[in-house]
Amino acid sequence: MRFLLSQEFVDIKEYIELVFTDYTLRTITLGTAILGAVTGMLGSFAVLRKQSLLGDAISHAALPGIAIAFLITGAKDTNTLLLGALVSGLIGTFWIRGIVTKTHLKSDTALGLILSLFFGFGMLLLTFIQKQPNANQAGLDKYLFGQAATLVESDVWTMAIVTGICLLVMLTFWKEFKILLFDADYTKTLGFNTKTIDILITSFIVLAIVLGLQTVGVVLMSAMLLAPAAAARQWTNSLSVMVLLAAIFGAFSGVFGTAISASQNNLSTGPVIVLVASVFVAFSFIFSPSRGLLFKQIRFIKNRRDLELHKTLAFMYNIAETHEDISHPHAIKLLNNFQGYTRSTLQKLVDKDYVKIDGNMWSLTERGFETASNLYTKQSTEDE
Amino acid sequence: MSSAQIEIQLIASLVAVACAIPGTFLVLRKMAMISDAISHSILPGIVIGFFITHDLNSPLLILLAAFTGIITVVLVEYIQKTGLVKEDTAIGLVFPALFSIGVIMIAKNANDVHLDVDAVLLGELAFAPFDRLIIGGTDVGPKSLWIIGMILLITISLLIAFFKELKVSTFDKGLAASLGFSPAIIHYGLMSVSSVTTVGAFDAVGAILVVALMIAPAATAYLLTTDLKKMLALSIGFGIFSAVFGYWVAHWLDASIAGSITTVLGLVFLLVYLFAPSKGVIAVMYREKQQRKEVSLLTFLLHLKNHDEISERHVKHLNEHINWQKVRSRSVLDLALKNNMIDIENQIVSLTKKGDEFTSKAIDYIITNRDAQIEDMKDDFFLFRG
Repeated sequence: MRFLLSQEFVDIKEYIELVFTDYTLRTITLGTAILGAVTGMLGSFAVLRKQSLLGDAISHAALPGIAIAFLITGAKDTNTLLLGALVSGLIGTFWIRGIVTKTHLKSDTALGLILSLFFGFGMLLLTFIQKQPNANQAGLDKYLFGQAATLVESDVWTMAIVTGICLLVMLTFWKEFKILLFDADYTKTLGFNTKTIDILITSFIVLAIVLGLQTVGVVLMSAMLLAPAAAARQWTNSLSVMVLLAAIFGAFSGVFGTAISASQNNLSTGPVIVLVASVFVAFSFIFSPSRGLLFKQIRFIKNRRDLELHKTLAFMYNIAETHEDISHPHAIKLLNNFQGYTRSTLQKLVDKDYVKIDGNMWSLTERGFETASNLYTKQSTEDE
Repeated sequence: MSSAQIEIQLIASLVAVACAIPGTFLVLRKMAMISDAISHSILPGIVIGFFITHDLNSPLLILLAAFTGIITVVLVEYIQKTGLVKEDTAIGLVFPALFSIGVIMIAKNANDVHLDVDAVLLGELAFAPFDRLIIGGTDVGPKSLWIIGMILLITISLLIAFFKELKVSTFDKGLAASLGFSPAIIHYGLMSVSSVTTVGAFDAVGAILVVALMIAPAATAYLLTTDLKKMLALSIGFGIFSAVFGYWVAHWLDASIAGSITTVLGLVFLLVYLFAPSKGVIAVMYREKQQRKEVSLLTFLLHLKNHDEISERHVKHLNEHINWQKVRSRSVLDLALKNNMIDIENQIVSLTKKGDEFTSKAIDYIITNRDAQIEDMKDDFFLFRG
């Protein structure tokens, strides 16, 4: 961002002070934080409804609306343009729905179609506008990639008000939203008007996307919707916690993204915010305790160890069975041709008091024999 | 028409054909959004390639970009396999991240790189004829014509060579696998072709509009036919038509050629979407209306068969008892009369012999759970459909 051009690096304390004193920086930080929170919140619904890519389609579909609003009014007033974007986003959404319900084309085709066709039409209009003898048209293309630096205080107010309305509606219809999300048929039988609830959620998703166009731009807006929600999903199974977490992740992506892009030259805010959000997702994918890849792998290895331990025990049992005295000692060497045996599993068996080790010999204890025989019967009944 | 104009139209048509072929299979395999993901995420590949070669048309750049496209597919599939998020979310997570990396790389090196995100995303076909390929001092045509021509040639030869395999694996994955065609090879083959096509076309029509050229003609064709070969031919036809017609619209409006090609594609799709003979919206809605009326008719006939009492068979009864609107009961009665299913005497409705036979058969089918056959039976009995 330009206002920090002279400084290559701003240390954190100085930066925080700047956030509170510098008008532009404060506006942008607040704006991106609010945007992240509202998209994260509504994105949770999109992700759970398997409409993840809807955001991508809508944000692209909003482009012709911006161009047409400009062509009609000739003004570059943000609110007018965003209204146009809202209308064309909604048209796109309902056309997608029409294609999916009325024809045999699948939803991915419908999304791709609307996305590319609307975007292409928008580009046609934008280039058409550029050729017009009207000096006012410059700056429309900021909606392509977004320019957080152009946010002003009134934009932030608009965002805050819309977020407030979203929050209010969400809290009022929380029960309806939730039940529709998880069991649409049941909702219908309970007598709720599912169509209305559905349209309500979708409209708010469209609204959130349109709000973000100025900051993040058409192309990257879908990530703002998805990433915080996908990250939040990993930490909880409860909808309310997920929505809250997604809002927090979204807000932090906004704040951190703004901070990083402000501390460097030539870094546009939108892509940085998206990357920060992606880092949140990657972190959640790996380190989430219940679903994360890391702990899943650890559990996987632990399970395999347990299985191998059982295998070793069963093998020992098979040997011991052939002798009258079950505690008759055998050479450890006997186990060597068996894969499940390692020094540590053997030690574990000793720790559990299943096996006794005496020099190079091992012998099964009474307890070990009993466990192993149960293990065996359990296995054999499972096999049948 | 100047030679530059002819060349532009030729390039646009070749791009359209090269996109339509993989696009058809993407649409059929429900992977249309993958093309969108690839078209965005090749950006970092293009940027890195450009840093190395400083030439937007170098083959290395195309290879690197195509490689990034395949990385996208692999990443998406990896995330899908972990089961942490739904499949479409995986797509939506991967490509914005890669695209952001590309945008940041361009921005950080903006001073020494002559590369514009707009140019990559939107392309400018109008300049394509100026970048010419010169071999041994002779001018053999625009570079992008040669690039897209090569890609098209490879695509067509792959299509002809593996048509059977592609067809089987598209419609029946299990059968394809059991016949010994590796689903993975076909899948990644298709993905590679899509990546290469996207990259090859990006400087002509722009990366995002490649998506339009891939999906729209195929989707339009899919509304008109269910035969794979016809669908391929139709989507190629739609692609070429939109390319040429779109060029002239752009010429007339003095606007972006790629944008206007997409707009024409959109209009063609809209027309077919509304008016396609059996799958268009209007045809579907007409059929739904007809079905609704015929079901009402059947309900009414069943009612007549169940009741002999005069009070249950009065014309007015339809409104009062079955609770139908006036217009609806009128139209149902008309339909029944036209088909000779009922007689009306002194406002009392009774079944004719034909109506009785029809109803008995229908009851038979309903009790034995063969409701679908009522549809065939209608053809035998109905003179007029609802």
